[in-house]
Amino acid sequence: MKKYLIIATVATLITGVSLFAADNKTVEKVYQKECGSCHMAYQPQFLPSRSWNKMMKNLDNHFDVDATLDANDNKTILAYLTSNAGDMKGATKHFAKMSNSVANNETPLRISQTPYFLREHRGVPKRFIEQKEVKSLANCTACHTTATQGSYSERAIKIPNYGRWED
Amino acid sequence: MKKVLTVLGLMVTLGFGAPIDGYMQSLANEAKKADASFKGFDAVRGKQIFTSEHIGKKGQNISCVSCHTNDLKQAGKNTFTTKVIDPLSPKANKERLSDVKNVEKWLKRNFNDVYKREGTAVEKGDVLTYIKNY
Repeated sequence: MKKYLIIATVATLITGVSLFAADNKTVEKVYQKECGSCHMAYQPQFLPSRSWNKMMKNLDNHFDVDATLDANDNKTILAYLTSNAGDMKGATKHFAKMSNSVANNETPLRISQTPYFLREHRGVPKRFIEQKEVKSLANCTACHTTATQGSYSERAIKIPNYGRWED
Repeated sequence: MKKVLTVLGLMVTLGFGAPIDGYMQSLANEAKKADASFKGFDAVRGKQIFTSEHIGKKGQNISCVSCHTNDLKQAGKNTFTTKVIDPLSPKANKERLSDVKNVEKWLKRNFNDVYKREGTAVEKGDVLTYIKNY
């Protein structure tokens, strides 16, 4: 009897976990579709949850662009962003550096203005950023060739019209 | 019965009842309600809406062409972020105009971005007619 109970418990856990994973995947798809059509769908861990709350409340003026969503999609995406934010328990150590570098009394909307980000990019010459292939520091994928997979390693940096970057 | 099915089948084949047609019909109804002399949507007016420049939401000169280019069968590029945009013409990209929710979302956003206001029913219908027949 005890054996069956264990099997049943394990089975329930596995089903529960895979169900959760499937659900998370669907939500990620919504995020990719809705936010990733204009810019890279930034990893939620880059900002603290309070930033995402503020961001999703002001989509009618999203960096001077109308990015409004219907109420349902907004809710789904906000929940995804905040539950995976940099100040949440599950945040990986490296990623959370960005979010953790933000002072408690600040709520940045630009990842590129967090202290950690600024530190990491301070040596990048303006001409690399302002060229037409890059345009701004918000364009991660222009130089970080594996950014969409969440990897920002130095080896994967390739700056347009320049090449590899070494510190 | 067989006849009915054939007719239904023909309607589907001819594209009647496509969600976008229903949406455009509702825009036409709205236009007619606002102005009884409304005669129907016009691709030429739609092209004018699509190609003319205005001071947009970002405070700079912009048109739909700035991101979608002049050739709707080609991919475009978001002029602010450099992200590639798939072709707008349904003839080049069968996903286009297939999802009314998506169409409404982008019309609202992009009218605001370029014209700093939401488009009227006539304007939306005209620009959709232009895109549809491109």
